[in-house]
Amino acid sequence: MRAGVAPRSLVRAPALTRAAVVLGGGGALLLVALVVGVGLGSVAVTPEEMMRVLGHRLLGLGATSGVDASIETIVVDLRLPRVLGAMVVGAGLACAGTVFQAILRNPMADPYIIGTAAGASLGATIAIVLPLMAPALAIGAAGSWLGIGFVQLFAFFGGLGTVLLVIGVARQGGRLPSVTLLLTGYAVSSLLAAGVSLLMFASGRALAVIFSWLMGSLAGVGWADLAIAGPVVAAAFILLLARWRSLNLLLLGDGPAAHLGLDVGHAKLQLTLIATMATSAAVAISGTIGFVGLVVPHVLRLVIGPDHRLLLPASAVLGAALLVLADLGARLAGGIPVGVVTALVGAPFFLWLLRRSRRVASTLSA
Amino acid sequence: MVPRLLRIPLLFVLLLAACAAAPSTGTSPPASVIATPPASSPWAAAYPLTVIDDVGREVVLDAEPQRVVSLAPSNTEIVCALDACDLIVGVTDFDDYPPEVSDVERVVVGAQVDVEAVIAAEPDLVIAAGNELTPTSVIEQLLDLDVPVMTLYPESLDEIYADIELVGRALGRVDAAAELVDDMTSRVDAVRTTVAELEAPRTFYEVGVFEGTIYTAGDGSFLASLIETAGGDPVTGDALSTSIEIEDLVAADPELILLGDASYDPTITAESVAARPGWATMTAVVDGRVVSVTEDIVITRPGPRIVDGLEALARAIHPDAFGS
Amino acid sequence: MTLVVEAAGLHVSYEAEGGERRHVLRGLDLAVEAGELLALLGPNGSGKTTLLRAIAGTLPRDAGRVALFGRDLAAWPRVALARRVAVLPQALSLPDGFRVAELVEMGRAPHATRWFGSSPEDAAAVERALADADALDLGDRYADELSGGERQRVLVAMALAQEPALLLLDEPTLHLDIAHQAALLASVSRLQERRGLTVIAVLHDLNLAAAHAPRIAVLGGGRIAADGDPASVLHPALVRELFGAVVDEARTADGRRFVVPRAPSAARNEPSVPSARRYS
Repeated sequence: MRAGVAPRSLVRAPALTRAAVVLGGGGALLLVALVVGVGLGSVAVTPEEMMRVLGHRLLGLGATSGVDASIETIVVDLRLPRVLGAMVVGAGLACAGTVFQAILRNPMADPYIIGTAAGASLGATIAIVLPLMAPALAIGAAGSWLGIGFVQLFAFFGGLGTVLLVIGVARQGGRLPSVTLLLTGYAVSSLLAAGVSLLMFASGRALAVIFSWLMGSLAGVGWADLAIAGPVVAAAFILLLARWRSLNLLLLGDGPAAHLGLDVGHAKLQLTLIATMATSAAVAISGTIGFVGLVVPHVLRLVIGPDHRLLLPASAVLGAALLVLADLGARLAGGIPVGVVTALVGAPFFLWLLRRSRRVASTLSA
Repeated sequence: MVPRLLRIPLLFVLLLAACAAAPSTGTSPPASVIATPPASSPWAAAYPLTVIDDVGREVVLDAEPQRVVSLAPSNTEIVCALDACDLIVGVTDFDDYPPEVSDVERVVVGAQVDVEAVIAAEPDLVIAAGNELTPTSVIEQLLDLDVPVMTLYPESLDEIYADIELVGRALGRVDAAAELVDDMTSRVDAVRTTVAELEAPRTFYEVGVFEGTIYTAGDGSFLASLIETAGGDPVTGDALSTSIEIEDLVAADPELILLGDASYDPTITAESVAARPGWATMTAVVDGRVVSVTEDIVITRPGPRIVDGLEALARAIHPDAFGS
Repeated sequence: MTLVVEAAGLHVSYEAEGGERRHVLRGLDLAVEAGELLALLGPNGSGKTTLLRAIAGTLPRDAGRVALFGRDLAAWPRVALARRVAVLPQALSLPDGFRVAELVEMGRAPHATRWFGSSPEDAAAVERALADADALDLGDRYADELSGGERQRVLVAMALAQEPALLLLDEPTLHLDIAHQAALLASVSRLQERRGLTVIAVLHDLNLAAAHAPRIAVLGGGRIAADGDPASVLHPALVRELFGAVVDEARTADGRRFVVPRAPSAARNEPSVPSARRYS
């Protein structure tokens, strides 16, 4: 028996310093990523030019920015929304991945696992192909509703609708068993993926568009996209963070969590829906970018532990920073889809991680 | 009472609608990327000018364009045929004609439009291609940045003429456009006259064979109508995918096979075609009427040289009437 | 004396594979008073764990009444119940990556008042729980480094952190060796006295139950078939009737009673147990 240990130190102190270090470091990385992301590309922008443009536009300094009009347009209308979009998508996917890994207690869970990707892909594919097959509908891939493109709308609701369907099927009298959810998600995803393949086969010219959407890309993300996806992901993050206790309790197992007062079925349902919102919003503006939602939570869990109080914010920050850097890499490599970069980097890294640490898998299968 | 399941999604949908309906910040007014016209231009009086492009979009030009970016080789050729090649400041990496554009900056690499490079070139007119050859999202992005974009997508000879005239108006080269169109129409008429009395053979134009799928002229496509104009009776594939099943091809039994892909792949010859399973019994193969085509690029590029392509087709289909 | 647990006419069934309905508890009555230590015994499949879960509120009942602390179970809000009732699970699994102190703090969840951190009361309760569970030295250790016995102590601490009035143990000795089995039950008795807990423990070992529990209830036929002190319940005739096992009674040198199953060859000489008595 240890005598004289102040109660506070057992549960408080180590966590706080860890949080400060991780979030501080993550924040710094994010800032660097922002500067580098906006500065580099096929057209080089010096930090000085960047400061002048941002100073003029955001803070109203000076009558003009004193920088070339084209550079100014590139920074403000092309790079800045794209980089911020990458942050929103990266944060959204990483948080969703964290949550799904906790709910499903499965280390291979990513944000798409219960059908979001398949549903959003089908939605987007339909929106892309529909104008070609039925020109009379005159929607056009260029069409929009309230400023949101049809492809984004169809993708968002496709993802959300699919998850609602999967939940509806997997639910057993108020309970949402993780294994059932997983398997149902897999089955529905396969079905919808077949639908996507069928449409791709019949799509003719639109095939390139569909393919590029499926690979995931941040090209073309503008302020309008950000104005929608940003608040959705931010709201989801806040709602998830508020439920950190439920997430931690779920790690104990459904039974013990229930005995500690958690309405397990209800909690899983809420968490699933909120995480799906974030995922659908992310996918709607950038297509299905993989590996961010899978790898980021894993890496962080090994470094800072599974307490969601810290894990969620850390995942958001790291996911955001990583996707900005991945998108930069994609741009510098000639405009390849960012999903290719995340896969090329994420997969080997994940394999290395698995080899190095047996804790990766066991953290979640308690 | 809203079912519990739907409460959270509903919250988000409302959030979505609220954000979207709220006055959007939109894009901050960018600095103008349009240059002022030189005072000496004889066409200065015609501007500002509004034209309607092939997808029905209004293209507003405040002044005669001095910096043009072309997002498709056919567009480049039209501009150059109007003697405005020196205006071009951006092309694609597929551009190969005329030789003058080989030094121009490539803003489209591997079918990916680098929007930043387009913006950096400070164009006052971008000529895009329709039907997703230039992705609509890219066109939208450029329009959002107040760059005038004219989208061309001709699907017939008449539409090519119309596009040439359209570009002529936009660039202030109306007379040059009219002259070019006259020249093209008279050459086409000459071909038409020559083949009018001739019997049209069933003609199969091979665009390519990839992984067992045969690509040809789609039903109702430009290529199909071109073959007809050249005096052939085209065997066509599916309108959307432009592919044809081997069984359908055998059933159609073409009398003449034109190998468009021989323009790019020297291993494709009459002999290699005859060796393909199922092809040997076709009339064209039996009669030895399998012809390698070297002018595929002008046959399939809907620009000013389309007439060269038409004439090449006519020569291949009716060699006796046109000489070798 | 207040009744902590009161079950009357309890019917619980569940749907097994193949869709058939298995009726486990058929009109069970049970009353447990405050401060009691009750061992629940019975052959496999007799419904011990089912009864425990029905009491804990995590298994729905078909008919009958369950009241905890004088209030019907259905009227108990989930979180309020978790502040009074703690369950020690069978499995010894704990999620990796947490320190023991953090895990025990999770036991404070039903009492949590602060949004993000823990209150001084929580911290004090955690310290007390670790002390009572004899696990203060484990506070900074990580869960994945612990041995089976150490995990058991952590689980007990987690349950105690809830500051329950009723502690339910679901076959807690299943994965323990003989030394730890005895230690666990001894500490449970000790805790019961120190904290005034009411304890219901599902056990499978008759002798262990007899050694530590002043009251033993045996399930059979979907009901309580025998209920009383170890001496009366641990009767060979009763054991044979309820468990279908032939046992002999014996005494240790210092007078403690225990039962020993008879060797199969010797058992064969006894008239066979009527099949109607089998309750699986």
